[in-house]
Amino acid sequence: MTGLYADVVMCVSLVMAVWALVDLIRGRSSGRPFVIGVGVFEAFMALFVIGGVVQAFTTTHDFAKVEFCGYLLGCLVIAPLAAWWNRGDSSRAACAIYSVIFLLMPVLILRVQQVWSGSYGA
Amino acid sequence: MAPNQTVSRSTAAGFGRFLIAIYALFAIAATSRSVVQIATKFHEAPVAYALSSVSAVVYIIATLSLATSKAHSRQLATVTIIFELVGVLVVGTLSLVMPDAFPQASVWSGFGSGYGFIPLILPILGLWWLWRTGRNGDAEH
Repeated sequence: MTGLYADVVMCVSLVMAVWALVDLIRGRSSGRPFVIGVGVFEAFMALFVIGGVVQAFTTTHDFAKVEFCGYLLGCLVIAPLAAWWNRGDSSRAACAIYSVIFLLMPVLILRVQQVWSGSYGA
Repeated sequence: MAPNQTVSRSTAAGFGRFLIAIYALFAIAATSRSVVQIATKFHEAPVAYALSSVSAVVYIIATLSLATSKAHSRQLATVTIIFELVGVLVVGTLSLVMPDAFPQASVWSGFGSGYGFIPLILPILGLWWLWRTGRNGDAEH
């Protein structure tokens, strides 16, 4: 879970965060292109989650699997929930929500990695 | 419009949409955390883990009451967020002066230091927003 792919997902998330912050400063959402970007991010994240679950149930490594899967589930659902909440909304509030969400994602991925390594508990 | 008529703006518009999203994030985080804590190691720190579940319920009620525009949702949001602020201040203070009572951290321990003090800032923002949207006349602007 500490591989290059996690770093790639974090970088995609940070790019989305910067995009949302630029939109926030401009005062309006990029609209459909940004929603497509959310979809691309979610595709990256879905592969990360699938890889994580497969690794969790095939490794002999001892760690908190319930917490691990909980964090993975959080990683998977938060961006779509934000997209649903922001549907039809191109205001600054929508940009601010996306900014927070995409800054949060790398933190969640780091937590996933900490739980995997056994250095973090609920 | 009559001069004394109260004009209340929806709490789910403008900045309120952002506030509700943050409350929803905390509802998800606190609920997940308390479910795992209570299911796997409640005996280790029953007070802290019970407080985590209380905070989860508070965040869920605050999210829903801010997001809905039913007649009593504003009052429910106000009561819930005041309870949240008191909870953060009391638990935060107790966790510092009586650390033995909190061997494991709850969401509100150390005034929410584990979450960047957002649990302390959130109820203040929530009460400000309720006041802002509930003011007479100029709340529309």
